[in-house]
Amino acid sequence: MMGKTTRAKLAAFAAMSLILISCGGNGGETTTTAAPPDTTAPAEPSGDPIKIGILADLTGPFTTYGTSLARSAELAVAEINAAGGIMGRSVELIVEDIATDVAVTTDKARKLVESDKVDVVIGPIGSDAADAVFKTVTQDGKTIMIYPETYEGGKCDSLFFSTGAVPAQQIRPMLPLLQKEYGPKVLLFGADYVWPRRSFEIAKPIIKEIGGELVGEVYLPLIADDFTELVKAVRTGKPDYIFTLYPAIWGAALKALTDAGVMEGVGVGTTFLGDPDLAGIGALAAGTYTALPFFTSAEGVGVAAFMDAFKAKFGADQIPSGGEALGAYNAIYLYKLAVEAAGSTDATAVANAMVGLKFESPTGTVTMEASHHLRQTIQLVRVNAEGLYEHVSSFKDQDPEESCSL
Amino acid sequence: MFTLSNSLVKVISAAWKRAVEIPQSERRRVTEIVLGVLLFSLPFVLSDLFLIDRFGRYFVWAIFAISVDLMWGYGGMLTFGHAAFFGSGGYLVAIFTTRGGSFLPLPLWPAVGLALFVIAVFSFLLATLAFRGRLPLRGVEFAVITLAVAFLLEQYARAGGDLTGGQNGILFEVRLGMFGLDLHRGRGFYALAGISLLIVYVVARVFVASRQGLITRGIRGNEDRVELLGYNVPNVKVGLFVMVAVFAGYAGVLFYVHDGIVSPTAVGATASTQVLLWVALGGRGTLAGPVVGAIVLQHLTATLSGTLLDTWLLVIGVLLIVVVLVFPGGILGHLNRGPAR
Repeated sequence: MMGKTTRAKLAAFAAMSLILISCGGNGGETTTTAAPPDTTAPAEPSGDPIKIGILADLTGPFTTYGTSLARSAELAVAEINAAGGIMGRSVELIVEDIATDVAVTTDKARKLVESDKVDVVIGPIGSDAADAVFKTVTQDGKTIMIYPETYEGGKCDSLFFSTGAVPAQQIRPMLPLLQKEYGPKVLLFGADYVWPRRSFEIAKPIIKEIGGELVGEVYLPLIADDFTELVKAVRTGKPDYIFTLYPAIWGAALKALTDAGVMEGVGVGTTFLGDPDLAGIGALAAGTYTALPFFTSAEGVGVAAFMDAFKAKFGADQIPSGGEALGAYNAIYLYKLAVEAAGSTDATAVANAMVGLKFESPTGTVTMEASHHLRQTIQLVRVNAEGLYEHVSSFKDQDPEESCSL
Repeated sequence: MFTLSNSLVKVISAAWKRAVEIPQSERRRVTEIVLGVLLFSLPFVLSDLFLIDRFGRYFVWAIFAISVDLMWGYGGMLTFGHAAFFGSGGYLVAIFTTRGGSFLPLPLWPAVGLALFVIAVFSFLLATLAFRGRLPLRGVEFAVITLAVAFLLEQYARAGGDLTGGQNGILFEVRLGMFGLDLHRGRGFYALAGISLLIVYVVARVFVASRQGLITRGIRGNEDRVELLGYNVPNVKVGLFVMVAVFAGYAGVLFYVHDGIVSPTAVGATASTQVLLWVALGGRGTLAGPVVGAIVLQHLTATLSGTLLDTWLLVIGVLLIVVVLVFPGGILGHLNRGPAR
């Protein structure tokens, strides 16, 4: 039994740590990346900082992707600050964890817009979260939103931009290749939310058009613990290949399929599986094709430098993931160029300046189209026998073919 | 820094010692007054409208926590599925205000009334089945049933097609307001949530002090004895269940209309267990404790997930363990009883 004074002290200590921690919440929420000392560096940025808010899933099922998004943003901001900021103003990055949860995302988006008054919001990962917040961010006409993740396309707003890949850039060029290699019978397998469902709606007419045959369509919860339905569908449908959009735990699904012995000779194509996702499942995934804007094995003059900078900042064993890492990096540089072209951070002026902008991204030139979606090069890779991605080809300078007209 | 924390410890210890002197009969009243003053002075202290709005959100969660405390803390009936009612409040209002149909869509408050009526009927049927059947459910059996209900509703919300919007849920743009006042954001929302919390709290207090409340606590202590004394235990339980379901539903209405989106996790098991943490941390069977638990834990979550980024879950987990070890009866349970008798 604890004595009276011990309890009092413990209580005091507990109360104090709570106070200290929550006080930290007021001042410490911002990570300003100071410019490293460099003799050749341009003038130190000054004045009111330009604020960039990041909505990243740093916990929950999308941790891998969210972490990559936040880190790439951090890297881009550090580079920009070291080179003199944007129009002489420093850039302040405010990162919020949205925990792969829509309700949290709504709250955090409002915090960034209403409390921090950021100039631009970059994120989130999930399409459902993006659907939930993009109006929240853009409705007052003061804040731009750039969505850096691969998604199903179709979002259209004067202050909304996408730097991720959309179906016309990945699914359209990829399905004929998969069919040529494996055969015409395809099974679609996705997580049960808006991105896989809408993407598959786009994939179906393409499959028909190229003479393929849809033998099944399965949706499971984002974090499923039972893959019986999927195994059954593969066993009865006998697909030549599976086209899957099952982020977060595709490894578990693949293991279940392999254990059930139904994967013999069956190909796999995805548009989400980045290099970090391969850890632990590489051997199982041998032969898998993936199309995304970035891989460590991507083609492009800037790839090595981007990777080196990422590793120097976050650790030699840390690698950026496929879509969101480059998406966030491009988003911040495009925003910088747009502010400089507009000569102000006024959201409408920046949005107008954004259209038609070109940026030399690590994998090649990207262009912001009038549809507010990004023309960019998509990398097609394949998992080799060692469980690592090998570059197959690049879909060069892909038109997003989005119909948004503003 | 060290001297600062040392003096802080001294100040808190002194305050603590002073607090120890307060006689036990007065303790609850004192904590309630201090808490009330603290919470309702916030809009005058804070200048950040968003933060004020966020506290409104915490108040709504506090109503949810009170609802669970009445059930679990006072009635001794652990529920693992209380978000079924919280989330249903959000879903029903979203459906009634956005979907077309014979009498739909409805304006906000008629939709709220209808939603709470549906929840009352549903909870009445559920409670009648659970408590008045041939084999009335108790303890773990009841907890499992509540969990199953939440799980079923979550699955239905996911698979409900156009009605529930599937995994994406329902986005709706109804604004909270009353008598021409806009209560959707900032101080307005804070006031709406705060007054709602106050009313629910007072009703809960009155209930706890009433004859029904006494029987409820008796059920927690020894259900068989209460029954043998001639009280109609199933009736009391059904009544309690309907009341807490409506409270939780009303909290859900405020929360999701304010957020403008409701998605399947709203009715699920995770949301249901989270509220148990608030109640346990604050002190179950104290009413004020769950309010404190909800506000403190949610505020820590909201701020730490912006500062500690990927380690905040760990910090909050450790904190919870420490608090529960030091105060097994929860923070308010400890304060009300007085330390180390």
